[in-house]
Amino acid sequence: MDILPYLLGGLGNGALYSLLALGFVLVYRATSVVNFAIGEFLLVGAYLTYTLSLRLPLSLALLLALPLAFLFGLLVERGFVRPLLGRNVVAVIMATIGLAAALDGGVLLVWGADLKYFPTGLPELGFGLGGLYLSSRAVWSFLLGAPTALFLLWLLQKSRYGVLVRAISESEVAALALGIPTRRLLALVWGLSGALATLAGAMVAVAGGLGPNLVLMGLKVFPVAILGGLDSVGGAVVAGLFLGVIEALSQRFLEPLLPGFTEAVPFLLVFLVLLVRPYGLFGQREIERV
Amino acid sequence: MLFVENLKIVYQGVILALQGVSLRVGEKEAVALLGPNGAGKSSLVRAVAGLLPKFEGRVLDGHIRFSNQDTTHAPAERVSALGLTTVLEGRPLFRHLTPVENLMAAGHRLPARELKEGIEEVFTRFPRLYERRKEQSGYLSGGEQQMLLLAMALLTRPRLLVVDEPSLGLAPKLVEEVMRTLDELRREKGLSLLLVEQNARAALGLVERVYVLEQGRVVFEGSREEAQKDQDVMEFYLGKEVVGFRQAKRYRRRKRWV
Repeated sequence: MDILPYLLGGLGNGALYSLLALGFVLVYRATSVVNFAIGEFLLVGAYLTYTLSLRLPLSLALLLALPLAFLFGLLVERGFVRPLLGRNVVAVIMATIGLAAALDGGVLLVWGADLKYFPTGLPELGFGLGGLYLSSRAVWSFLLGAPTALFLLWLLQKSRYGVLVRAISESEVAALALGIPTRRLLALVWGLSGALATLAGAMVAVAGGLGPNLVLMGLKVFPVAILGGLDSVGGAVVAGLFLGVIEALSQRFLEPLLPGFTEAVPFLLVFLVLLVRPYGLFGQREIERV
Repeated sequence: MLFVENLKIVYQGVILALQGVSLRVGEKEAVALLGPNGAGKSSLVRAVAGLLPKFEGRVLDGHIRFSNQDTTHAPAERVSALGLTTVLEGRPLFRHLTPVENLMAAGHRLPARELKEGIEEVFTRFPRLYERRKEQSGYLSGGEQQMLLLAMALLTRPRLLVVDEPSLGLAPKLVEEVMRTLDELRREKGLSLLLVEQNARAALGLVERVYVLEQGRVVFEGSREEAQKDQDVMEFYLGKEVVGFRQAKRYRRRKRWV
């Protein structure tokens, strides 16, 4: 049986999707802004990590890139989101589309269009067990992804900060009336989103090289987030893992029959799920008291 | 404690909501602000709470002073930190959050220990909330929601409580209960209170002074006793006929105010 390695590899990939989707969903949930620049967050983060890794060991570069990416998220909030605060959400969404285009160009200008490879990799953690081999990349994705996702879930659901973010996401005016520092908290959420995207981007880039088309991975965030329910953090994690596995399986079994079909599978799946559950798998329903 | 002087407010640059309103609330004093729909009561509430920008409104003229500081253009965060807490109309709690989480959000400035004690205190006072502490607050009854809102307001540790239309959409019995609770809490904690109401009868029971707002202007100001003696207030807000309908000449008296 050769399914198991695909399954595990898929889970590893899925963990990265989860990370990326987490950042996306957090921002959507807290600010109702659909961040179309999420792919660019990932791209910039990956290039930042790459640049740092030219001088530093990779683990250190990654550690340093995360706070920088956090700062980058803060800057985006400050420069593009806050000036539009109080306007229609659509205005902010359009701004993120513009930002995406600008960042795409900016990355090309600074780093060029050629494919780059990290000078060093992460320590080799792949291992074989019986007839089964688990790639180092999958192990690392899981090692970094799982605790991060769990920590974020805890942060949002149980911690005091999480309660505040959820409160703001529901009614900013009510939160303001209670004196909750909404602006500061929302900025932190954007920073967090930047850091998460960077983590995911760096992991992919370390394994497969880094070029401007890494931005396409940002597209994956939409099926993942929508499948999980746009505003559900837990849903993003589950849906990320799920789609990772589905993709791997489709790669193995459907690709030989229908070349290129794998690209469409996540979107097809979203379509089917939405037919049955319009709020996604774990999305929040509107409360109506009759 | 709270001084509002000659306040003018416009929305979207053109709609004049308040045209020079002055009002004060003293230390530990309870004041009612009465008036019909659209008189500008909620605009005043938003202005003192620092929430006008959220409603595309802005102070055109005049001053707001709270606790000896100019808060005319202060953001909501600062006003709240100074000790002025607003309970907006329409029961603005966080519906998807449980009562416990709502209370946690409200007590965001308290240290963990004090927050926990505060929440326990709330639950002893409102056993109904304790029973439903793990449900989504959106499913609580109207009366329970109003109680939760009052409890949340207390956890911000205010010195002045501004409450906008707590009676709205509640059955008369519940209105009575909410007002009684508000009165008890205020006396217990030594708070000042600005109670904004359409329901004059319910409000008059717990205040010392009364303002009546109409079309963006203060048309009556006085103690509760004076309000109860005033023919216009009695007639228009308490529905008591002081003189016969024919002699009353409503239209002329209204005109005098505008």
